[in-house]
Amino acid sequence: MTFEPRTPREDVNVSPVHPLGEAATLVAGIALVVLPLALAVWAAVEIGVRFLPAGLEARWFADLAPDAALGGDPRREMVEALVGRLARHWEGNPYAFRAGVLPEDAPNAFALPGGVIVVTSGLLDGVGSENELAFVLGHELGHFRHRDHLRALGREAFLAVVWAALATSGVGSTLPQTVSSLAERGFSRDQERAADAFGLALLHAEYGHVAGAGGFFTRLPDAEGGVGARLSSWVATHPMSAERLDALHDTARAAVYAEEGTQTPLPATWREAAQ
Amino acid sequence: MESWIGLGIQVGIPVGLLLLAYAVGSAVEGRHYRSLRARELRSRSFPVLTLRAPPADWRIEGIELVSGSVVVSLDYFKRFLAGLRLLVGGRIASYETLLDRARREAVLRVKEDAFARGCHAVINLRLETARLNRTLGSEGGTAGVEIVAYGTALKLARRSF
Amino acid sequence: MILSNTETIPGRTIREFYGVVTGSTVRAKHIGKDIMAGLKNIVGGELTGYTELLQEARQEALERMIAQAKSVGANAVVNVRFATSSITQGAAELFAYGTAVKVE
Repeated sequence: MTFEPRTPREDVNVSPVHPLGEAATLVAGIALVVLPLALAVWAAVEIGVRFLPAGLEARWFADLAPDAALGGDPRREMVEALVGRLARHWEGNPYAFRAGVLPEDAPNAFALPGGVIVVTSGLLDGVGSENELAFVLGHELGHFRHRDHLRALGREAFLAVVWAALATSGVGSTLPQTVSSLAERGFSRDQERAADAFGLALLHAEYGHVAGAGGFFTRLPDAEGGVGARLSSWVATHPMSAERLDALHDTARAAVYAEEGTQTPLPATWREAAQ
Repeated sequence: MESWIGLGIQVGIPVGLLLLAYAVGSAVEGRHYRSLRARELRSRSFPVLTLRAPPADWRIEGIELVSGSVVVSLDYFKRFLAGLRLLVGGRIASYETLLDRARREAVLRVKEDAFARGCHAVINLRLETARLNRTLGSEGGTAGVEIVAYGTALKLARRSF
Repeated sequence: MILSNTETIPGRTIREFYGVVTGSTVRAKHIGKDIMAGLKNIVGGELTGYTELLQEARQEALERMIAQAKSVGANAVVNVRFATSSITQGAAELFAYGTAVKVE
C-alpha cells in the first residue's frame, strides 16, 4: 500500500451557525417560555393571598413567634400598646397584634406572618419622638394591610421548588442562586410606598398631624443621595431615603395632612429602660 | 431616570462582557485556525495512521513513542451558549470548534515531536480527551479540556512511499 | 463506504492510505430529560434519555467521519475507534477516528 497525502474537509466537525445568532435565538426562545411561567406564578400567588383569611394566618404562624421569643426589653409593652392604638384606626383590622424587640444595633423593623411586628433595639434607640416610632410601626401595619409578607412567602416557596428540581438535574448551578437572591430583595418599591402612605394615614388619625414621619429617615446614612447611593438603591428595592422623604411630602400634601405639629416626646426613662 | 440608568448598567455589564468574550474568542480562534492550516499543509507528506501494523514494504530501523497534548480553555461566551443549550438540548456548536482545534493541534504536535526525533511516520495513533475541573469557585465547573494524542513513530531506512 | 475496526478488510487489499479522519459532535439533552434522569438517580434503572442521546451522538460522529473520508477519495475507513468524554455536566462529546484507505 502506498501513502497518498490528502487533506480532508475541515468543515465537517463544526456546525455552520454564527455564535451571536445562536445566542440571540436561544435567549429569545427561553424568555418566551419563562415569561408566561413567571406570570402564571405571580397570578397564582395573588389569588392565594386574597383567599387566606387573617385568622387562619394567625393560627398557622403562631409558632413562628411564641411569646417567649418576643424579647425581654422593658420597652416592648410600650411598643405593643402603641401598635394597639394605631391599629384601632384601621377599620376591619383582623389581627391581634403583638410586638417584639430584637437586641441588635442596626435600626430595622419586620412584619412577621400572623400579626407580629418586630423592631430592633437599635431602632428604638434611634427614634427622636413617639411620632417617629409611630410612623415606623404604621408602615409595618401597612404591610399587613396589603399582605405583602404573604406574597414574599409564596414567591420564596415557588422558587425553592424550582431550585430543588434544578438541583436534582445538576444543571445551571449558578442560576438558582441568582434567582433566589432576587426574591430575597423583600418588598418591592411600590409596596414600600403604599405602606408609607398607610403609615401617614394612621399617624394623622392618631395625632392629628404627620410631623415626625420623615424625621427618622433624615438620620439614615444615605439621605444625602449621590450617584452611588442612587444606583445601589435601585438594586436594593428599598426606596432611597431622599426619594422616600419626597414621596412622603407629596402624599401628605395630596391628602391635606398638616405637616407641622407638636410631637409627643418619648418617656424620660426610654434610654435608661434599655440598660 | 435613575432607574433606567441602573437597569442599563445591570443588564449592560454582563452583555458587554459576553460580547467582549465573543470578540476576543473569535479573534483567537481565527488566528489558531490559520496557524493550523499552514502547519497541516507543510506536514502533509508526513504519514499518520491509526493502523497497528505498518505497510509490509517499509524497512523499519527504529521506533519511538511520541505524544502531543494541548489544553484549551472555555471562554465566557462559549460557556454561556452551552448553558443555554443545556436547557433546550441539541448540538452545542460553541464547543465543536474548540475541540476540533484542540484535536488538530494535538495531532500536529505529535507530527512535530516525531519529526524532531528524526522519524518518518507515526502508526497506531490514539486520541484521548480529559476534562479539567475548576478548583476555585463553584464546583463542577469546567476549567478546560485536555486532548492528548500518542502513537509509535518509525525511523525508516529510506522513504519508501 | 466500508467501515471496520479491524486492521484490514477481510478478502480485500488496501492499495492506498490517506491519513487519519475524525468525526466528532457535542450534544446536550434538554432540561426535561435531565430532571427525569435526576429522579431516576434516586430509584435506579436505565437512563433511556441519555442512552438515546449518546446513540444519536455516535451516529452523527460516524457520519461526519465518513464525510471526511469521502472528501479525500477513500472508499473504506479501517481501525475505527470511538471515544466518549464529558465536556461539561449534562453534555457529552463523542468522537470517532480511523484511517481512510482505498481498498479493492
